[in-house]
Amino acid sequence: MSFPILTFLTFFPVAGAVLLIFVPKEKANLHRYLALAFTLITFLASLALYFNFDGSSADPQFVEKSGWLGYGINYHLGVDGISLWLVLLTTFLMPIAVLSSWTYIQKQVKEYLIFMLFLEAGIIGVFVSLNLFLFYVFWEAMLIPMYFLIGVWGGPRRVYATLKFVLMTMFGSLLMLVAILVLYSFYYKATGTYSLEIFDFYRLILNPQVQGWLFLGFALAFAIKVPMFPFHTWLPDAHVEAPTAGSVILAAVLLKMGTYGFLRFALPLFPDALEKFLPLLSILALIGIIYGGLMALIQKDIKSLVAYSSVSHMGLIMLAVFSLNTEGVQGAIYQMLNHGLSTGALFLVVGILYERAHTRLIKDFGGVSSQMPVFSAFFLVCLLSSVGLPGLNGFVGEILCLFGIFKSSHLLAILAASTVILAAAYLLWMYQRVMHGPIANEKIRSFKDMNKRELGYLIPIVIMMFWMGVYPQTFLRKMDASVSRLLDRVHNREKIFLRETGPASSLKGDKSAETEADRMTVRAFAEWEKRK
Amino acid sequence: MNSPASLFPLLAAVAGALIVLLLEVFIKKEKRDYLGFVSLAFLVAVVGLAVSSWNRELGFFQGTLHLDNLAIVLTVLFCLAVALVILLSLKYIGQQDANHGEIFALLLLALAGLMIMTSSSDLLVVFLGLEVLSVSSYALAGLRRRDEKSGEAALKYFLLGSFASAFLVLGLAFLFGAARSTFVPEIIANLGNAASPSLMGLIGLALVLVGFGFKIALVPFHMWTPDVYEGAPTPVTAFFSVGPKAAGFIVLLRVFMDYWDTVQVSSLIFWALWTMSVLTMIVGNLVALRQTNVKRILAYSSIAHAGYLMVAILARDYSGLVFYLAAYLFMNIGAFAALIGMSKTGTEYLELDDFAGIGFRYPWIGGTLSIFLLSLAGFPPTAGFLAKFYVFSAAVRSGLISLVVIGVLASLVSVFYYLRIVVYMYMREPGREVDIEVDNPALFLVLFLCLYGVLQLGIFPGNILVIIKQAVASLPVF
Repeated sequence: MSFPILTFLTFFPVAGAVLLIFVPKEKANLHRYLALAFTLITFLASLALYFNFDGSSADPQFVEKSGWLGYGINYHLGVDGISLWLVLLTTFLMPIAVLSSWTYIQKQVKEYLIFMLFLEAGIIGVFVSLNLFLFYVFWEAMLIPMYFLIGVWGGPRRVYATLKFVLMTMFGSLLMLVAILVLYSFYYKATGTYSLEIFDFYRLILNPQVQGWLFLGFALAFAIKVPMFPFHTWLPDAHVEAPTAGSVILAAVLLKMGTYGFLRFALPLFPDALEKFLPLLSILALIGIIYGGLMALIQKDIKSLVAYSSVSHMGLIMLAVFSLNTEGVQGAIYQMLNHGLSTGALFLVVGILYERAHTRLIKDFGGVSSQMPVFSAFFLVCLLSSVGLPGLNGFVGEILCLFGIFKSSHLLAILAASTVILAAAYLLWMYQRVMHGPIANEKIRSFKDMNKRELGYLIPIVIMMFWMGVYPQTFLRKMDASVSRLLDRVHNREKIFLRETGPASSLKGDKSAETEADRMTVRAFAEWEKRK
Repeated sequence: MNSPASLFPLLAAVAGALIVLLLEVFIKKEKRDYLGFVSLAFLVAVVGLAVSSWNRELGFFQGTLHLDNLAIVLTVLFCLAVALVILLSLKYIGQQDANHGEIFALLLLALAGLMIMTSSSDLLVVFLGLEVLSVSSYALAGLRRRDEKSGEAALKYFLLGSFASAFLVLGLAFLFGAARSTFVPEIIANLGNAASPSLMGLIGLALVLVGFGFKIALVPFHMWTPDVYEGAPTPVTAFFSVGPKAAGFIVLLRVFMDYWDTVQVSSLIFWALWTMSVLTMIVGNLVALRQTNVKRILAYSSIAHAGYLMVAILARDYSGLVFYLAAYLFMNIGAFAALIGMSKTGTEYLELDDFAGIGFRYPWIGGTLSIFLLSLAGFPPTAGFLAKFYVFSAAVRSGLISLVVIGVLASLVSVFYYLRIVVYMYMREPGREVDIEVDNPALFLVLFLCLYGVLQLGIFPGNILVIIKQAVASLPVF
């Protein structure tokens, strides 16, 4: 039995949080250093995932499985080429988030860091769970720390924002829970055994109408999380009110839980339903792209501008996912990482400005670059990465996404390409108003350039932006196999089914089905036939 | 097996009550704590006697009293609840002008009533247990004699409780007329054999349902609950919200178990229960939204939880029901324990405004209360989530999908008001001057035990689940 690396990654932050509970409240700095140490160690440990991950295999790796509550509820962890990167993104950004709140958070530092550590555990747990029960536990549990982070340390309208965030997310996830329970009972009825394993559910072939309902249950939960238009309304509120690190994690990682959910559950589990809803979903994603971009143009607050840019970018990612081809899906996953880095970085940059000016309104700024030359360079890089300038990470992702979309529909691709123009417009215009021009007020003259701590957390991000922009192979190579397996599941469900169970004649309950797994599938198929 | 041993736990509880009552005369008012400890000792005895009969299927009085495994599990749960409530009362009764040794005796008597209710399938015996429970409950509700609200609670509870009992007795009379028996299996057999559904039996059954609906506060028979819960001394409220509710549901389970399938009216019974379940979930949660007193919020939440428990009855998931009751015991008593923490001599801080800023000033009370509320709201990884998961998954398996959808949406509403308390505790600046006495080790013991229970049942319920499944498997199948 090798070292249970995924368990370690998930529960090491919890250990840190428990440790912090017992450190006296007055020692705020000790809390900060401990939290940083715990998140850094988690990050370093997660690098082992990268080095030992075999990109040529689509099977989940680093698998840990043991019984837990019985009745199909197992403790089952594993990563494939898709979740690997999301785990790494999380562990990479967490120490940065802790560093960015070093001086920003002054009240209740202890509780703040405890919640940050719980949040990290919850997010990693979501990405590595291969059992639906476990997944749901992490998915819901992770709401609690986020609820506190926004609600306690957020801006003036924080209570409204945090309740809206929690209730909207819960609305979706509770309906998803019902869908999970229905799947659970179908599986039991079809096979006589209990299971909540994702890979068992992949084998279930369900009647298309049932699929439709279940798909809606799952898709709604994920669409709210992504968020897709028209379920995005919680996002600008939550982003604007959350503390900097909260916004970073929210934008960079939490939103990815929605897209990840689509890739892992909603698409491969319900391919027939997907086909039916694809036009609707694509149009919603497209509306998200354009609506988010237009809204971003007219925002007065930098943070809500970045928030709406998230809506727009996530729309592009979803549209690429729905193109259902290799380029599109790979591009979407790549763009998920890019969006994590560049939007995260933009929130950090806004946070740096806010710590100096205590305002985020664009009209309060102007000419900042003359006072903060180093900062303005970093700001520009992060911004261009979000716009998609060649040489930086955003370009690779957007091009792949657009290629994918183009392959499935020319019209959609042309309309979706507006995201690039819109992003350039709202971001550069904002940059111009904030950084250039005459110095708007006297307060700006006293601004100090970035300090070492701030450099320390922006430099790694900028390095990654260049790396991902110049040599994407490092990242894409690890996800090839997983993506093609995923698409296989979506497109060729029937074919996989035949391959796994033998010739068609055996499907009707023939005794030639050999293994237990075959018999189960056969029974599942018989059930399906009956329902049809 | 017929053996007087099945009476021993019950006798221990009653003997405990009488001895405590007697001792009270001889003990000075300041030393009333000792009465609590004596009661705890008797509780240990009750548990010991009950557990020693595990798997022995003892009965007495021609089987009308039946100490089966389910009754044993419930006895242990009741003793646990009473023990926690006693620990909570130790300081509270001194603080809040309710320093009467009777509280311990009454709790033990109520315990005896609960035990009788859960260990019989004879409706007349159940009624006997219910009355023992009710009479002690009326007195418990009015324990703060000089407090108007407490008096109101006692009177209201007494009047409405008597009505409920009257309904129940009338229903029993009808049932007896129709089926010539008060023993549930015989009633069912006799009614099932009849060629056409008997109107008299149906009326009887409906009246019995009304009677129990009052006791476990199902909508539309819930009106008394908020006032009684608010007025009664807080530890007693904690007891009311857990003990009688659990016993009532076990009776429902024994009365309305699967074997009604043989009777023609079974679908009528089903839809009656279905409607009450939906109404209870919706009304309980919606009305809780408008409350500003935390004790009343918890009162309405306890109504709402009765709705979820009804889902378990409808889904025939009896182990899920018992698990839910166990989880509910820990999270609800824990929440009330935190409320008891919000007090000082002569004052209780129970308005939402009083909770502003409490979380950071009293981290243990705020933190544990938050966890109990999150558990009540059904967040993982707490017992509340697992309990709901079991109940709802059983309901989906029985095809009650619409009921489950209503259930989860109702619990979404509940998330709002539970989190509202947390909002006040952590996200509001302290307003009113709140100065609570934290010197109460028994209270912190209870908080800790409940926290442990909530997390243990939520993460590693292992053995407890197995025991509950065994207990339910021992239910007689007719």
